[in-house]
Amino acid sequence: MTKFLCAAIALSLILPAAALAAESKIFPFDYRIEEIDNGLKVVSIPLDNPHIIAFYTIVRAGSRNEVEPGKSGFAHFFEHMMFKGTKDVPKEAYDEFLTRLGAGTNGYTTDDYTCYFVVFAGRENLEEVVRIEADRFLNLYYDEEMLKTEAPVIEGEYYASASNPDRRLFELLRDTAFEKHSYKHTTLGYLRDILDMPNQYEYSRLFKQRFYAPDNTILLVAGDFDHARLMALVREHYGAWEPSGYSLQTPVEPPQTKAKRAHYPWPSKTLPRMAMAYRGPAYTTESIDKAALDLLAEIAFSSSSPLYQRLVIEEQKCVSLGASFADRRDPYLLVLSSVLRNDEDLPYVEKAILDELERIKTEPVDEKKLADVKSNLKYSFARVLGTTDGIAGSLAHSINLAADPGTVNALYGLYEKVTPADIQEAARKYFVPAASTTVTLTGGGQ
Amino acid sequence: MTTLMRYAGVGIVCLGLAMFVTGCGGKKTGGPVVELLPIEGNPLVSLRIVLNVGSAHDPAGKEGLAQLTLNLLANGGSRDLTFQEISERFYPMAARLGLRVDKEMSAFSGTVHVDNLEAYYAILRGMLLEPGFREEDFTRIKTNQVNFLERTLVNNMDEQFGKEILNLMLYEDHPYGRNEAGTVESVSNLTLDDVRSFYKEHFLRGNFTIGLAGGYPDGFVEKVTADFAALPEGRTPQLVLPETRMPSGLEFMIAEKQTPATAISMGFPVKLTRADKDFFALWIAGAHFGEHRQSLSLLFQKIREERGQNYGNYAYIEHFIQGRDKFPATNYARQQQYFSIWIRPLANSNRHFVVRQALRELRKLVEEGIPEERFELTRTYLLNYTRLYAQTLDERIGWQIDSRHYGTRDFLDDVQKRLPRISREDVNRAIRKHLNFDNVMIAVITEDAESLRDALIADTPSPISYANPNMPAEILQEDLVIQSYALGVRPETVRIAPATAFFRKAGLPME
Repeated sequence: MTKFLCAAIALSLILPAAALAAESKIFPFDYRIEEIDNGLKVVSIPLDNPHIIAFYTIVRAGSRNEVEPGKSGFAHFFEHMMFKGTKDVPKEAYDEFLTRLGAGTNGYTTDDYTCYFVVFAGRENLEEVVRIEADRFLNLYYDEEMLKTEAPVIEGEYYASASNPDRRLFELLRDTAFEKHSYKHTTLGYLRDILDMPNQYEYSRLFKQRFYAPDNTILLVAGDFDHARLMALVREHYGAWEPSGYSLQTPVEPPQTKAKRAHYPWPSKTLPRMAMAYRGPAYTTESIDKAALDLLAEIAFSSSSPLYQRLVIEEQKCVSLGASFADRRDPYLLVLSSVLRNDEDLPYVEKAILDELERIKTEPVDEKKLADVKSNLKYSFARVLGTTDGIAGSLAHSINLAADPGTVNALYGLYEKVTPADIQEAARKYFVPAASTTVTLTGGGQ
Repeated sequence: MTTLMRYAGVGIVCLGLAMFVTGCGGKKTGGPVVELLPIEGNPLVSLRIVLNVGSAHDPAGKEGLAQLTLNLLANGGSRDLTFQEISERFYPMAARLGLRVDKEMSAFSGTVHVDNLEAYYAILRGMLLEPGFREEDFTRIKTNQVNFLERTLVNNMDEQFGKEILNLMLYEDHPYGRNEAGTVESVSNLTLDDVRSFYKEHFLRGNFTIGLAGGYPDGFVEKVTADFAALPEGRTPQLVLPETRMPSGLEFMIAEKQTPATAISMGFPVKLTRADKDFFALWIAGAHFGEHRQSLSLLFQKIREERGQNYGNYAYIEHFIQGRDKFPATNYARQQQYFSIWIRPLANSNRHFVVRQALRELRKLVEEGIPEERFELTRTYLLNYTRLYAQTLDERIGWQIDSRHYGTRDFLDDVQKRLPRISREDVNRAIRKHLNFDNVMIAVITEDAESLRDALIADTPSPISYANPNMPAEILQEDLVIQSYALGVRPETVRIAPATAFFRKAGLPME
C-alpha cells in the first residue's frame, strides 16, 4: 500500500463514530484558543490525520465594514490586493512557493469577514507556510499602478455573473430592504463603485490600517501539527504585527415601518423569481430566537415541508423554494426565495408563502417534524467534518461570529431545546408585514 | 484477518461473481462490477452507482432522453413511495441521491451516516430498481429540462453557454454533439413510454459499477451486489464513435445577445485519454498553460494578472468538470477527448484583443514548448496538488472507479510514479503531437456580432486601453504585437446566430 493511500484512509477516520451520540457535542474535536500579545487569536485543532493541514486566516472585515459612500465592494477588492506580495517575497515568489507546495489556496470575502486559506500536504511545510503568510499580512506591498491594474479584474468578476438573474435579484433585495446599514450593498459592490476602484489607492491604505491588524484577525489551523510548535511559529512570525485599535461603527438601520416592494425587468427570457425578506436578529446564542428561526426555515420551507411539496412537487408552480436565515454580526434578513415557472403565478405563490407564515404563527408545529429537522441539521453538519478543510472551512464562519468554535456546540445545544412554542413565538415576532421587503424579477425578450 | 483485508476479500469474491462471460454475437454478460473501499469505524458510507450510459446513447430525435430518464429516477418516486414520501424519509437523514449525466457515463451518488445506511439504501434501491414512472414526476422533470434549455442556459449562464456551444462545434454529426439536456424540440416530444423504453434497454446488470466506501457493515456489499445482479443480464455495447473532425482554420460560432461582457470558449479534438502513454506529458503542458483556477496558469498570468482583463483564463486537455473546491470531479470518462481554453467574460471592447492573445499564446506553446523552469515547477505542483484530490469518501471511490475504467491500476498513485520519469522533451513532444494553434473552434457570446465578424475577417487592429496610465513598457510593447496579430480568419468560417436559436433543435443553429 502506498504512503499516500495510508494517509487518505487515516483522514477518513477523523470523524469519531460517536460524533452523533445524543449526549456528545456536535463539534467533536478538541481545540485550543490562544491569544498572543498583539491580540492575534489562534484557534488550533490538531487532528489525527497524517499529512494534511488547513491554515486559515480570518480577517473580521467584509462588506459590512464598507460604511463610507462610494466604497462598496472594497473588502473584496482588498482581498485581491492581499495576493500582491511583499518586498521580501514578491507576488511571483509567493505564487511559486504555493505552486510548488501544491496547495489548495484562495481567498473569499463575505458580508462580515474575509478568509484566506492554504490547504497543503506535509507537516514539514508548516513553518514555511506560517512564515510566508505572516509576511504578507505584516508587510504587504503594492503601489498605485498595481492597484490600477488589479481593479478591472473586479469588473471582470462582476461580468462573470452578469448574466445571472439571481445575483441581480439579491442586489435589489438588499438595496431595497436596507436604508443605512452597509448590508445594503452586496459583497461584490455596486458597479459604479467597482468602476471607481482604480482611483482608491489612498483609501486602500486606510482600509488596511484599520482592519488588517492582529486585533481584528483570527488564525484557524486544523490538521496534522503540534500545537506548541504552531504557537512558537506564530509568535515568531506574527509577533511584530502592530494592533490597530480601530473600532468600526456600522450605521444603525432604522426600524422598518412600512412594507416595501421592488421589481426588476430582466431583459431576456428567464424564469420569474421572487424574494421576500423580513428583518431578523443578529447572530447570537444568548437567546433562543436565532435557533428557533433556523428550525422554522427548515420546517416551513425545506424540501420536506408541506409548502414545498405543494408548490414544487404537486402543483408545480415553483421550480425551487427555500429559506435562508443567514448568520450575521448585525441584524440581517430572513429571506424566503422562489423560482417560478410562470410570471402569472407570482401573486399565487406570494399568497401561499404569506398564508404559511400566518399558519406557523397560529398552529404549533408538529413534534415529529421538529425532531426530523433537528436530525437533519445534525447529520448535515457531521458530513462537512469528513475532511480537514471541511472542518476548517465550516468553522471559519462560526469563528468570525463568535471567535470560538464552541459557538457551534452552543447553537446546536439551543436547537435541541427549541420547542414548538418557541417557533411560534419567533414567527410572531419576526414575520411582521410592515417589516417585509418583496422583490420580483421577470424576463422579457423572446 | 483485519477488517480491511476481510472487506478486500469480499470485494474479490464479488468481483469474481461479476466477471464477464463474453462471447461473439449475443454476448452473455455478468455484472455488476463492484469497487470497494472499506474503512472500518468510519461513520459515513458513500455509494456511487455508475452507469456506462449517457447522453451519447440518446436515440436520434430523442436528445435529452438519458438525462430525463435518470433524473426521473433520482428525483421521482419509486413503485412503493411517491417522491414526496421519499423526500420526507430522506430529510431526517440529511440524505439525497445525486446525479450527474455525461456523454458515456452517468453516476448516482449519496453519502449517509452509517446509522441511516439501511433505511437509505432501501429507498435508493426502490428508486433505481423499481421506479414509479409517475406521470406527474415526469411532467415536472421534463418541464424543468425544457426551461433549463430555453431560458436558463442561453439567458442566465453565459460561461456555461459558451462551453456548450463549443461542444456542439466539436462534435457536429457525432453522438457527443448534443447537450445532455437535449433540445427544446426533442425534450418537448419525449413521452413516458420513451423513458420506460430507455430504462428497459439500458438498465442491464453489465452496465453498472457499484462503488462503496466507508464503514459499511458486514453483508452490505453482498446485498447491494445481489440487488443489481437481479437486473436483466447484458450490457449496452460500447459506442463505436466516428472520427472527430478537426477544424479547418479558425472556425467561429458567435451567439448574439444583449450583454455587457463577452464569454469565450475555444478548442479542438485531441486523440488521447488517460489511458494514452502521452497523457501525463500533455497533462503537464495543460497545467502549465491553463491550470484550472490557479495562478500557475500562463493564460491567467498573461490575461488577468498582467492586464486585468477578466477574472480568469484556463485550459484543459480533457473534459473538465469542477468538483469539490477546484478539484476535478470524477466519473466523466470518455472515449474521445478535446483540448479547450476557457476565457471568462470580459468587456466587449476587448474581445478581439483577447481572442488574439489566447491564440498567440497557444502558438507560442506549440512552437516553443514549455520552458525548463516551468516544466519543473508544473511537475512539482501536480505531484503535490494531486495529493489533495481524493479526500472525501465520495472522491476516493470516484477516482477508484475512473482508474478501473481507463485501465490504470490507481490513477493518483500513477501520478506519483510516472510524473518524476517524464522529461521536458516528453512534454514538448506531446505538445507538438496533440496541440495546434491554427485549427481551432471558437465559441463567442457577445453583442453586436457583425462588427466582431467584420473585424475578425479584416484582421482589424484591436488596441486596448488600461485604467493604469503607467503600464509596464514590456506589456505595452507586447500589446502592440498582439493587437495586430494576424488570425487569417476566412469569411466562411464565421457563423452568427441569435443566442435564443441555440438548443432549440439538434446541432448548431443555421445562420
